[in-house]
Amino acid sequence: MKHFKKLINPYIVWSFFLIVVPLFLIVLYSITKGTSTLVNITFTPEHFKKIFEPVYLNVFFKSLQLGIITTIVCLTLGYPMAYIISKASESVQGILILLVTIPMWINTLLRTYAWISLLSDNGLINRLLSVMGIAPAHMMYTDFSVIMGLVCDLMPFMVIPIHTSLTKMDHSLVEAAADLGANKVQTFTKVILKLSLPGVISGITMVFLLSISTFVIPKLLGGAQYTLIGNLIEQQFISIGDWNFGSAISLILALIIIALMRFMNKIDPDEKGGE
Amino acid sequence: MNKKNGIGAKLYITLCFMFFYLPILVTMFFSFNSSKSLTHFTGFSFRWYEKLIHDNSIMSAVYVSISIAIISTIISTVLGTITAIGLSRSRKLLKEWILNVNNFPIMNPDIVTAIGLMIFFSSLKIEKGYIPMLLSHIAFCTPYVITSVYPKVRRMDHNLANAAMDLGATPFQALTKVVIPMLKPGIFAGMLLAFTMSLDDFVVSYFVTGNGVENISIVVYNMSKRINPTINALSTILIVVVTVILVCVNVIPAIMRKNHKSTGMAYQTKAGTFGRRVVLASGIVLVLFIAGFSFNMSGAGKKVLKVYNAGEYIDKTLLDDFEKKYNCKVIYETFDSNESMYTKLQSGEKYDVLVPSDYMIERLIKEKYLQPIDWSLITNRDNVIEHLWTNEYDPKGKYTVPYFWGGVGIVYDRNVVDEKDLEEGWDILLNEKYKGNVYMYDSERDSFMIALKSLGYSMNTKSKKEYKEAYEWLIRQRDTMDPVYVGDDVMDNMISGNKAMAVVYSGDGAYVINENENLDFFLPDQGTNEWCDCMVITKDCKETTLANQFINFMLEEDVSEINEEYVGYDSAVKSTYEKFRDDYYLGNNACAPKLDNPLNETFRYQETELKQYCASLWTKVKSHQK
Repeated sequence: MKHFKKLINPYIVWSFFLIVVPLFLIVLYSITKGTSTLVNITFTPEHFKKIFEPVYLNVFFKSLQLGIITTIVCLTLGYPMAYIISKASESVQGILILLVTIPMWINTLLRTYAWISLLSDNGLINRLLSVMGIAPAHMMYTDFSVIMGLVCDLMPFMVIPIHTSLTKMDHSLVEAAADLGANKVQTFTKVILKLSLPGVISGITMVFLLSISTFVIPKLLGGAQYTLIGNLIEQQFISIGDWNFGSAISLILALIIIALMRFMNKIDPDEKGGE
Repeated sequence: MNKKNGIGAKLYITLCFMFFYLPILVTMFFSFNSSKSLTHFTGFSFRWYEKLIHDNSIMSAVYVSISIAIISTIISTVLGTITAIGLSRSRKLLKEWILNVNNFPIMNPDIVTAIGLMIFFSSLKIEKGYIPMLLSHIAFCTPYVITSVYPKVRRMDHNLANAAMDLGATPFQALTKVVIPMLKPGIFAGMLLAFTMSLDDFVVSYFVTGNGVENISIVVYNMSKRINPTINALSTILIVVVTVILVCVNVIPAIMRKNHKSTGMAYQTKAGTFGRRVVLASGIVLVLFIAGFSFNMSGAGKKVLKVYNAGEYIDKTLLDDFEKKYNCKVIYETFDSNESMYTKLQSGEKYDVLVPSDYMIERLIKEKYLQPIDWSLITNRDNVIEHLWTNEYDPKGKYTVPYFWGGVGIVYDRNVVDEKDLEEGWDILLNEKYKGNVYMYDSERDSFMIALKSLGYSMNTKSKKEYKEAYEWLIRQRDTMDPVYVGDDVMDNMISGNKAMAVVYSGDGAYVINENENLDFFLPDQGTNEWCDCMVITKDCKETTLANQFINFMLEEDVSEINEEYVGYDSAVKSTYEKFRDDYYLGNNACAPKLDNPLNETFRYQETELKQYCASLWTKVKSHQK
């Protein structure tokens, strides 16, 4: 397999220009101030200092909280789903996985608009409730609506990797566990869960990352008072025009995420067994 | 795999799928609605499908979205797969470095990736449009391919490839015949992810596009101002097409296999089926494509005019008329706020004609972005309402031609709001009788305008103390009233009667009142924002004659009538303005609102320091928690 070493070269060049250089530009913005062009720059730490004001810390905290809740909900709903799918026959599995994927092909903005028509005070769900004689519930512009929208949007990112790791699992291990006298619960917790851990971890990572950086869904379903890191960054770049501060926030966000990734990689049994 | 799922499991999975598909079903359902509302079904009709067919911008957006998704998926799958294979053989340091770099596009918020790429392309002076969009899509799709293929590579038995080569296979053969088939599930997963990510992307595309190249997300986003079911019709068609393709891809190989079996040729391996499916899918899509290719072929060799306007702010048929009349091509792009327009200009994007608001015009003039209008070409100058020519943002009247204008007021539900309370003016927004029943407009300027006016200050104050007081007013409102800050979704919300009142621009008010007869509109006595959007020509414009002709064309009486009918705001053209006031919108208080209050003002240019101060206060208001 030595021959395949060179295959990596195109991507080294590619990633340098389209990932590293743009990122470097953002770092540059975060530590400089003044004009939005790159002439006459002065270096300053003020943007990073600003982030530690209580308002911004609050925003970070709220985003993390929302990200964690969304991830937990996705995991608790998504794991059983992936598990059930993986137990179906192979052709059915293919169809079910495609069914999980199709919603992602329909524009997110549109699906979010559909949630608005479902959840709003005079929306479809409330009208259904009133027909059944149940008092309408206030759902739009609350944590509930935001989490609902996020879970619906992000759950495929949980289901697919878990399903992948469940299907590539060596089933003789499950049988061996049963032969050795493990009951269903034990087989599940000691064998299946452990073997699907890589999928769980990549699912958690994916959902968490996407949910803490999102801004469109919270904005539409939570109202603009629902400020999260993503919204904060968007505001800095688009409406306020303070690219420097926006870059600084993005950088901090990226650092938090790198730290979390490192932590996640430590748990991942795959990483330990590296070459 | 030998155990079957029980009834409970089947039920659970059905419920999960219902949850996934509920919004999609709603989307499809409302594509057959006879009215514009997305919450009230008024009757069955195909009118949105009819509209879709005639909407060139949507059809070309479909072309852009799908072609970019396909090309970027193919390229990123190849690039990602070979990288993942190479990666497992690389030195540890290089491997970790690449994997870390690779993680950035995945974990960075879209907007950061987008801004990074935008700065990158503009510093390289690459003209924005299709190619940068394609490159960006490949840039953020490839990492997903690598992350799905790489674990499979590590899990793979490397001896197999070596064995193949020992047996005489060339490295290329070993790669295509042994390694890649083993990685099949990972590659397929990565491919699907890449395609999905690309098709659904909004933020990155939005920032790196230009020259009128728009994908579906951008069109939807720009439509959000007046979201209309045309786009639902589009998704319904898309979902049907996707389903058909997927069914074909899954069913045809099965049938083929059966045929082969019956003739005793059951030689197909799984990898062969996979390859065939991919080829088949690409084939179907390619055929669809060639059918849609004609969109890109028109308008070559003509003079080109680039117009940058707010979303849903023109009747696009007028652009076709203009193109015919002057034998030219108009590239039309839209923005969602003055600020995002400014960001785009700053990033080096070039346009000919812009339609910004008052305060932004002042800024553009100050920063020398504009060139004077050639008044000799504006023969329809006298069609414009006289008083709109006198203003503070363009005191010498050199750069601007008014387009639409109006005020900011409150639209309210007559069945809920007591007429007497209206006398409180803006303070009605603090009246606890209506707690939890108020929509504020998500705009820093307008929110501070309301608070400042309610406190009796000028909305253009330069005093930080007064801003601080206004900030406290807004915080008090958040604590006592639970207002919801909304964008343009306020319109559909008010039409559906979700809350009792909302702060709106007069033109939007006129539109919602037209759709829901329980609503009415008033302008608070404490004064309001009297705004005006104008057409201006940028300094970079080369086709100045054509640009002036375009502006003049928009001032023609019959043109402006067609335009007002579509847009719904008050036209700057006198005859049109009067006609709508006295006819179509008669009795609608949000149309032609009485803007004779001496306390009314127009927004002015803000110094950078004050602007950032307000911005930070506004962030505090929005992220405030009790």
